[in-house]
Amino acid sequence: MVSVAEMSEITSPTVVNQTAPMPNPANPKVERGMIEIEQLDFAYGTNKVLHDINLSIPARAVTAFIGPSGCGKTTLLRCLNRMNDLIDSARITQGSIRIEGVDINASSVDVVDLRRRVGMVFQKSNPFPKSIYDNVAYGLRIAGTTKRTLIDEAVEKSLRSAALWDEVKDRLHVSGYGLSGGQQQRLCIARALAVEPEIVLMDEPCSALDPIATAKVEELIRQLKEQYTIVIVTHNMQQAGRCSDHTAFFYLGRLIEFDDTTKIFSNPGQRQTEEYITGRFG
Amino acid sequence: MEGVADPRTLIPERTKSRRAQVVIEQAIKAFFGGNALVAVIVLALITIFLFREGFGFFGQNLANLRLYRQAGLEYVDIIRGNAAQHESLSRKLSEIRLREVRVMEKRNVPLEEINAALAPFDQFASAFSDTAENLHGLVSDLTDQASALKEQLFARAELLAQRNQLERSGAQTEAEKIVVPEVDRAAALARLREGSARFESVSAEITAKLYNLLAQAPAMPDPAGQKHFEQWKTRARKYLAGLPAASEKLRTWSPDTPIPWYRSISSFLFGRDWVTASFWQDWYGIIPLLVGSVLVSIVALVIAVPLGVASAIYVSEIASRHEKRLIKPYIEFISAIPSVVLGFFGIAVVGQAVRAASQSHFFKWVSFFPISERLNIFTAGCLLALMAVPTIFTLSEDALRNVPRGFKEASYALGANRLQTIARVLVPASLSGIVSAILLGLGRVIGETMVVLLCAGNRIAIPDFTQGLGAIFQPVHTMTGIIAQEMGEVVRGSTHYRALFMVGLVLFTITLAINYLAQKFVARYRMSIG
Repeated sequence: MVSVAEMSEITSPTVVNQTAPMPNPANPKVERGMIEIEQLDFAYGTNKVLHDINLSIPARAVTAFIGPSGCGKTTLLRCLNRMNDLIDSARITQGSIRIEGVDINASSVDVVDLRRRVGMVFQKSNPFPKSIYDNVAYGLRIAGTTKRTLIDEAVEKSLRSAALWDEVKDRLHVSGYGLSGGQQQRLCIARALAVEPEIVLMDEPCSALDPIATAKVEELIRQLKEQYTIVIVTHNMQQAGRCSDHTAFFYLGRLIEFDDTTKIFSNPGQRQTEEYITGRFG
Repeated sequence: MEGVADPRTLIPERTKSRRAQVVIEQAIKAFFGGNALVAVIVLALITIFLFREGFGFFGQNLANLRLYRQAGLEYVDIIRGNAAQHESLSRKLSEIRLREVRVMEKRNVPLEEINAALAPFDQFASAFSDTAENLHGLVSDLTDQASALKEQLFARAELLAQRNQLERSGAQTEAEKIVVPEVDRAAALARLREGSARFESVSAEITAKLYNLLAQAPAMPDPAGQKHFEQWKTRARKYLAGLPAASEKLRTWSPDTPIPWYRSISSFLFGRDWVTASFWQDWYGIIPLLVGSVLVSIVALVIAVPLGVASAIYVSEIASRHEKRLIKPYIEFISAIPSVVLGFFGIAVVGQAVRAASQSHFFKWVSFFPISERLNIFTAGCLLALMAVPTIFTLSEDALRNVPRGFKEASYALGANRLQTIARVLVPASLSGIVSAILLGLGRVIGETMVVLLCAGNRIAIPDFTQGLGAIFQPVHTMTGIIAQEMGEVVRGSTHYRALFMVGLVLFTITLAINYLAQKFVARYRMSIG
């Protein structure tokens, strides 16, 4: 665990109310939607899976996490909206994650608020067994929005952002399960966007999709980065190359290299990175 | 190549060990197949036996109903019904008096004064009940006549059946030895029907006396009492107005009107009386038993569903791993308690506690408290709830646990808290699983015997629903209870015996339907989360 002294050093004392992010005097370069990970160690029980991760994810850009299976990239992604809280005995043993300068693991942070601002799309599309409309409206409703017109607007807006509106506008009240796999995944993206997050985490969003659906989702990711900070975990090198601005390569729980995507794919700094992206292992 | 065996064949030649293996495989197949076959055959035999024994009921019940009409019992019951109406009016009068006494006691009027104030009313009440003296006399005379005729007819039918059986088996001489006495039914019935004239004179007498009485009815000391008394008077006038109709019914009654075959089914399915081993007439109507079973089950479910489902939600979503390890086996352990022990506990503890609670000051505001019966629907329902909770809990917990993790994660990732995730995602997603759990719990409850036999009070009557919720504090008998109680004492092959089988069949149908529904829900559940 992090000692109290270290905590106070990491967490800026001026920022307590994280809903209204203020410029951090200790770190004046804070920007909306930026994520800073410092010396992060993470363990499931006694099994340490992340070692000393230092990473600064820029705002309003797409950052891809690549690496062989079991290298910890999904675990790191799930740390960013504290989804790992749901797993017993999983915990950050050292270091901190700051979003807009606020340590998200500080006791003053409301995890519900955090998750509303850091949306997530999962590997396997998981619409609720509800209608398309209710799926998208879910996040708003649990946040207490009851006004029908507001919800209608938000549903249309997020379905449009997810490039799904034209396909489903005539059957909003049909079960989300009637959609194809690619549409379901875009529905999940729309659902995540409906609560207007600043950051969208995507955990291998295209792994279960065919090439055409994948192309649509990738196109969508490129559009979304205008407004959102996007972090995407992928096993697909081409995908990382196609739609990300920055790429982080992980291996055995360590961050091996983090740089511009073009640099990583054309001239990687590390031998392991080069071997992985050229397909020699992993 | 032709004719030359390929040495590299994929199928090796049947060596000795290979053959032994085949034998073993066949033995395994025979063993398991045989077991399945035995189970299927036994079940089929049970079902066939149940139907064979049960369906004989309708023929016998029809004969029973025909005898009821042919011996004139039905005729007597018309007059008896009239006498019963009169009696109920009498009872109503005593209720009015009781209420009046209570009102005055509350005003601290001494007992002597109360009696004095009510003296004219008492005089009226006794005069009223005296008016029916001749009516009761008539009923008891006719009852004797009709039952004598019924007995003769019954004995004759028995002897006839015996003779027919002997004739069929070829024992002619022995068959002729049986003397079947002739019964002069027409004469007996004619004598019985003289009752019509007697009834008319009796009713004329009642009418005259009653109008006289009503004219000089005393006033009640209390306005509320007066109101009740006025209501009673209206009822009494209605009764008087109905007398000519009864006479008419007696005159037109005929012992030879045929009874249609479906009456034997409808009198069973919709009959409101279950009267057996009676000197007069047996009735096999399932309604009081059905209502008893249903009410007990409803009470049990109303208690067990929230308990079972809520604890399933707690264990699957909220409890720590340590609590889970403790609670789950503990609840499942309840189902290991033998039902007879539970019933015993119900009589000794729950029934007593419920009655004590109903007598306490704390519940004084409840209109139907204090209750008089310790063993009633509520007591039995509480204990059955205890038996249904493990079923509902275990299956609901399974259903909740089988909700894909993705739903839960997606909900949390959107910023839902635990309660919202449970209420808006987990429960709806596993709803059909939970419903099927509840249905299986219901199946368990409705088929349970020992607890209801011990705790439901075993009074064969439809509860008085005019009391509202108070109806659930009345004793009932149930379908399972009646079978367990009466099956041991009935004569094999008698109508009563077969009626019990029919009750069993109805029970069987209900549980089958419930299980079928539950399976349908499970199938839907699998689809919805698949």
